[in-house]
Amino acid sequence: MKSAVLSLGLGLFSFACAGPALADPVFTADVPMLEEQAIQAGIDHSYTGPWEYFVGGGAASFDCNGDRLPDLFLAGGASPAQLYVNRSQPEGPLAFDVHETGLAPEDLTRVLGAYPLDIDNDRHTDLVLLRLGRNIVLKGGPDCQFEKANREFSLDGGQAWSTAMSAVWEGANRFPTIAIGNYVDRSAPGTPFGTCEPNQLLRPGQGAEPDYSGAQALEPGYCALSMLFTDWNRSGKPDLRITNDRQYYRGGEEQLWDMRDGRAPRLYSASQGWQRLTIWGMGIAETDFDADGLPEYALTSMGDTKLQKLDDEADENRPTYRDIAFEMGATAQRPYTGGDPKPSTGWHSQFADFNNDTMTDLFIAKGNVQAMPDFAAFDPDNLLLSDFSGTFHEMGDRAGIALDTRGRGAVVEDFNMDGMLDLLVINRENRASLFRNLGAATDWGHRPLGNWVKVELDNGAVNPAAVGALISVRTGTRTQTRRLQVGGGHASGQSGFAHVGLGVSERATIRVQWPDGEWSHPYRVFANQHVRIIRGEANARYWYPSGPVN
Amino acid sequence: MKIARGRNRLTILAGAALGALVLAASAGQAEDMPETPQAEPWAERTTALGASGAMPEGRLSLRALNGLVATGEALFAAQFTSLDGAGRPGATQAIDPTRRKHPRKQAFMRTAGPDGGSCAACHNQPAIGGAGDFVTNVFVSEGFESADFDSLDPQFSNERGTNHLFGAGLVELLAREMSRDLQALRDTTLTEARAKGETVRVALLSKGVEFGFISADADGSVNLDELDGVDTDLVIRPFSHKGVMTSLRQFTVNALNHHHGMQPGERFGARWTGSDDFDGDGISSEVADADVSALVAWQATLKTPERVIPDVSGWPEATALGEALFGELGCATCHRPALPLESLAFADPGPYDMSGTLNDRQVAQSAIYDIALMEWAEALPRDAEGRVLVPLYGDLKRHVMTDNQIDALGNELLSQRFVDRNIFQTTELWGVGSTAPYGHRNDFTTLDEIILAHGGAGRSARDAYESSAAHEKSALIAFLKTLVIVP
Repeated sequence: MKSAVLSLGLGLFSFACAGPALADPVFTADVPMLEEQAIQAGIDHSYTGPWEYFVGGGAASFDCNGDRLPDLFLAGGASPAQLYVNRSQPEGPLAFDVHETGLAPEDLTRVLGAYPLDIDNDRHTDLVLLRLGRNIVLKGGPDCQFEKANREFSLDGGQAWSTAMSAVWEGANRFPTIAIGNYVDRSAPGTPFGTCEPNQLLRPGQGAEPDYSGAQALEPGYCALSMLFTDWNRSGKPDLRITNDRQYYRGGEEQLWDMRDGRAPRLYSASQGWQRLTIWGMGIAETDFDADGLPEYALTSMGDTKLQKLDDEADENRPTYRDIAFEMGATAQRPYTGGDPKPSTGWHSQFADFNNDTMTDLFIAKGNVQAMPDFAAFDPDNLLLSDFSGTFHEMGDRAGIALDTRGRGAVVEDFNMDGMLDLLVINRENRASLFRNLGAATDWGHRPLGNWVKVELDNGAVNPAAVGALISVRTGTRTQTRRLQVGGGHASGQSGFAHVGLGVSERATIRVQWPDGEWSHPYRVFANQHVRIIRGEANARYWYPSGPVN
Repeated sequence: MKIARGRNRLTILAGAALGALVLAASAGQAEDMPETPQAEPWAERTTALGASGAMPEGRLSLRALNGLVATGEALFAAQFTSLDGAGRPGATQAIDPTRRKHPRKQAFMRTAGPDGGSCAACHNQPAIGGAGDFVTNVFVSEGFESADFDSLDPQFSNERGTNHLFGAGLVELLAREMSRDLQALRDTTLTEARAKGETVRVALLSKGVEFGFISADADGSVNLDELDGVDTDLVIRPFSHKGVMTSLRQFTVNALNHHHGMQPGERFGARWTGSDDFDGDGISSEVADADVSALVAWQATLKTPERVIPDVSGWPEATALGEALFGELGCATCHRPALPLESLAFADPGPYDMSGTLNDRQVAQSAIYDIALMEWAEALPRDAEGRVLVPLYGDLKRHVMTDNQIDALGNELLSQRFVDRNIFQTTELWGVGSTAPYGHRNDFTTLDEIILAHGGAGRSARDAYESSAAHEKSALIAFLKTLVIVP
């Protein structure tokens, strides 16, 4: 949180002018046209509130009614959170209806973020609401009905100011391990500085029903704003990475917890290779550019975005990272348009292939904390498109997302099932933005982008959505991977189909590493299909949305 | 030195045939262009490249279509040169743009390609656009990992004979209508499953050809386990021995790169690769979209093969018996004498190609090549509903062609584009009398041999043929030899 005047530490920023801060004319791939149509689509929602809501502003994208279209739960801060059911026609305009959850109004306020996952394996997605005060678990049911399940799951929501979450199925556990990231302890002496609340680790009991009564504190906490269970060293065992806000911690840093099965987590230390990094960490995004099983991470902050890659020169299994943001053109340290030379403020980050050219792009939600004078006031969101050499080019302006809003959480998702990724951005004290991806602009209209495939996994009775699985998609000499994760971003998560751009390939071979580490046989699929891979079945199935194609 | 070639550099007088192309250097010529006298008729480059100008759109008049076809024929016959952009030192033969790990200097390589100076170098039997003898075989490899194979060992590639292209436009139109039918069946099955709330299983049938079954679940999922002879996206891909290429356009783009190192921009250009000279030969924008359209137009309007009974004593009688036996022995189960076609309007770009080959969503408006304008089309038979009966002697379906006893057509080690090594699309027999040798590898010298090589799905018909009397076998051959290409 950065409400106080920031007078120190500016020297840490890299204000280098190099790097593609401006739209680059040499970018030759398609630039997707992202048309803002939130109001037309029926989404009228703002994230509001005082100081405690300067952070947060998340969204959860998931299917709550069984039609596989991504529905939306949007945090409102001081305003009520809202659930929107997706009514978009296939390949048509985006359309959502507000859906009454039947929950008490007091449970829908003070919500900062939300993450979807199926905690109890009943194939209805549940929601964890991160709140100022008691966190709430909503057990999903048919037709977008929810009921509070804190008692049923023995999950004490606590009274903290919760701002981050991640979950994973550890070992052979029937239910997920959930980590909750907390922010400032407002009741501690001297608050807010140096008073970060410990984070929380909720490991499930071994019974037949979810039981999270055995919560552990993850101490020290350094005011987490994003956390992610991640298999950073392809060991098959995810550890917990946390990005923290240096504005309020004292002596803190970024964190990586060693999650030994069934044992108390331990922080990776400098002697193990973990290097001290202090940033205004807001969001974590994971990708694996070269599909080597060793992921890269984008960390948003004030000023430079960090892009971390495991250092080739470090010893194996040591979490030593080097920052490749500058060499890849991804620092995005100040606004690319509007003329404000001050550094920008990054929040949600997410890797995705926006133009279906097989190259991994990066979206960053940007926006001033509130009215911080040392930071850009007009701070448009970034759309960093990768060229075919792996260099990012800022295309936010050309794509149409350079709005004068204060972005926070976001969801990159294909809302109308046309294979082209759309974008929802939660804005502080402003309406949420919903951008429909129309494809590339031409002098006669818009043309579709490259080919794509979307993959949904069915892992069976336990962890049916296969959280933690790795999807490997092979086309020609190129392999792309997607890890199914719960966590990261800024207070925002999603579940459902994983999207992969295929460029000019009309077919792909998919292999799945299931959450227990077992690799599948290859599945041969054609491009431009929604693919369902059900563990144990010989062939993939295709899925088609309901309704006429526009 | 980089040479930029754009379609604006060349203009063509309306209606001019190849020999009458008049070239003019445009004012927009790249500054680093060599001072080559472009207008000289002996210039070592293909003058038809770029001659089509802008992409054709809308329904073409006969005059416009003829002009495009003439350019297409010129391109098909052209001996591409290094000045055109022939050669791909930095790229492999792969369908997906793939860079070589190490550049290769030689312009040609008999195995991995480029392996031909022109399309017509192989497609020439009995005339341009025709098939090719064994010497024109090509080596099919994905080209990703083994780009530089110089061995004929089947672990590196599949060896394939050159198919003829006569009637190819009608073949693609049939495939499009069948794809439309199958996908419509899928849609209605899904609608029914959703309405009933239960799984619905239906037979996939188009133009009388069965493609197995699909099962649609109430949640919108489709089980594809029971498909037979068609890809899982229910697109009929009618070209190549395997039946894995969707359209003349797709095949043309593939072949220009593979066989000539001439890279069409619609797949190898900067949009998809970041470079207009992906193959690194110093020539950018080698093949314009309209060039590909011209090649497609020429191929799509090639006349169909015919039925010609030689005026030789006994041949008409033998043909009549052979044709009857063709049905009685079971040959016609797969080699269907005709399939009905509703429309002769050939849209280019077409509806079923995906990104990387232009399709009708990637352009402002497709061109329509109305094959009905062709003089030869008037002679096509029609049924009572007015549909053209395309006499292709095929079903546009893939079949298993081997079994435990008869496995001569299973002589490959590599599957191709998801199709197992012993599965091939039914060969259309129209023109078979003009296109010896036979088989996907062109290694059967007689029709008798290739018939006896049928195993798997063709086994019962093959056995019936084998057990037939000698005069009946002879009659069947007589009949097949009447299916000829008459240029």
